[in-house]
Amino acid sequence: MNTMNISPCSHRHTDSHMHSHKAPHDRSHRHKPGHSHRHKPGHSHDSLSIDQLAFQSGLSHVNPGFKVAFSVLALIFLLAADNLAISLLVFASMCYLTVIKGGVSGHSYISLLAIPLLFAVVTVLTIALDFSLSPAGEYHLHLFFFYVYTSRAALWKAFCLFCKVFSAVSCMYFMSLSTPVNEIICVLQQCRLPSLITELMNMIYRFIFILLEVQQKMSISARSRLGYVDARTSLRTFGSIGSNLFIVSMKRANHYYDALLARCYDGQLNFLSEEKPLSRKTVLYAVLYFAALIILLTVLKIYYH
Amino acid sequence: MHTEEIIRTEHLSYLYDGDKAALNDINVSIRKGEKIAVIGSNGAGKSTFFLNLNGVLTSTEGRIFFHGKPIGRKNKDLNELRKKVGIVFQDADNQIIASTVMAEVSFGPMNMGLSREEVSRRVDEALEYMNISEFKSRPAHYLSGGEKKRVSIADIIAMKPEVIIFDEPTASLDPVNSDMFEEVLGRLESEDTTLLVSTHDVNFAYRWAERVLVFSNGRIIADGSPAQIFRQEEILKQANLKKPILLEVCQVLQKKGLLTGDTAFPADISGFEALIQNLS
Repeated sequence: MNTMNISPCSHRHTDSHMHSHKAPHDRSHRHKPGHSHRHKPGHSHDSLSIDQLAFQSGLSHVNPGFKVAFSVLALIFLLAADNLAISLLVFASMCYLTVIKGGVSGHSYISLLAIPLLFAVVTVLTIALDFSLSPAGEYHLHLFFFYVYTSRAALWKAFCLFCKVFSAVSCMYFMSLSTPVNEIICVLQQCRLPSLITELMNMIYRFIFILLEVQQKMSISARSRLGYVDARTSLRTFGSIGSNLFIVSMKRANHYYDALLARCYDGQLNFLSEEKPLSRKTVLYAVLYFAALIILLTVLKIYYH
Repeated sequence: MHTEEIIRTEHLSYLYDGDKAALNDINVSIRKGEKIAVIGSNGAGKSTFFLNLNGVLTSTEGRIFFHGKPIGRKNKDLNELRKKVGIVFQDADNQIIASTVMAEVSFGPMNMGLSREEVSRRVDEALEYMNISEFKSRPAHYLSGGEKKRVSIADIIAMKPEVIIFDEPTASLDPVNSDMFEEVLGRLESEDTTLLVSTHDVNFAYRWAERVLVFSNGRIIADGSPAQIFRQEEILKQANLKKPILLEVCQVLQKKGLLTGDTAFPADISGFEALIQNLS
């Protein structure tokens, strides 16, 4: 476009562009912008967006113990009820709580729901479909020497199961998208889970982020030295980063231990947790919700028998 | 000026892995309210010295006295030292252990066995002190470097120690955060907290400190006021240190006859301005 510009930099650029179909190294050059874009250092926590969403949730002021109890109770109820209407209702209410009340964007919620989709589909298919050597069932498909068949009842059962699975997932998502991990750990602590386990959970949670950050830095510095030019090099770089991470972790563990001792650590990790009072209104809503579910279930049972 | 002795070390030596001397015969007395800069090249023993003062490491030889009382090797004695002497580590990421800011700052006070109300009050105070109250329930892993540093300082302030040690505090801070840090030092100093700051920034040491300890190969090779220490060329050479720029400027002025031999050199730029004002 700008032919008047004859600075050495732009000259070289147009030059490489002209010969790009010939020079092999140019291919990697053209690859690079797209690549570096995906691995922006600033967006280091993309993979852990659940954590971020939980911290930003509009329901973060609600008592964490209550949220955990609510979602677990709803989960148990819908599994015990084994009823399509209940599953759909719980799914709808959990979506409402998470998206409308919690403020999780519809887009991120749907993309999170898409993660278990594949597992759910595979599970449901194995239940709905059956194989035989002779034609059977209400619907069948002839393949080579065998038949894939299914029946209306099996399809209905599969559909119910599918709804149940997603309803259960929505319960767990409500919990994890409204309650940060550290608060869930606190709740577990209050449930008298051994402190060894809760302390490990706390440490692991903190160290995941530190390890990720270190790994990110290492891989960026490897990339800047052509550590990923081809598959072979990438593999070797991956290996070195792995072993280096191990060494770094050992070193940091020592530093951490010193820092803990310096603040009078005596073998027990004690932290202050924020007290989030439980409002009566919230409890009332939850009681009404479960009452409505129970009434609905009873009515359905009576009506259909 | 400062008379009350807080910490005294006698022939303090520390061996790493049983044979490598990290500290060698350290004899030093630290008095209440002193502002001490600890300088020396990497690996000179500053961090090991700090960890000994705080009771995380125990000396191979020699003893530490806290308020005149010798500190033994029992956990009870060491914990007493750890309560009263706080360290802000160089890398905040090696110090921050909890996942939220509040939990993190509460860790020290909780370990001191204080009541919940007291811990909660101290946490709020410390966050207020470091101007990070709005981060209270934020997760530590989404904070910036400067913010993490503030959290790591609040960690120690919440414990209300008599002595605070900063291990290379400004190493990874931008100028704004460095200024913030010096402002915090000023406030701590006005509250009569004893401060030890290790640094490679000789200009900072010259400007801020009342007393300088120079470490080289595990020994203290010089101990005195910045004005004395930084004029001794052979000490600077031995410890691989540079001369503070303000001192150099003043020495040039003196050489050119603009300053008389007996003028006291200013420690900071406002003092220098006053000096120049007097000249013209």
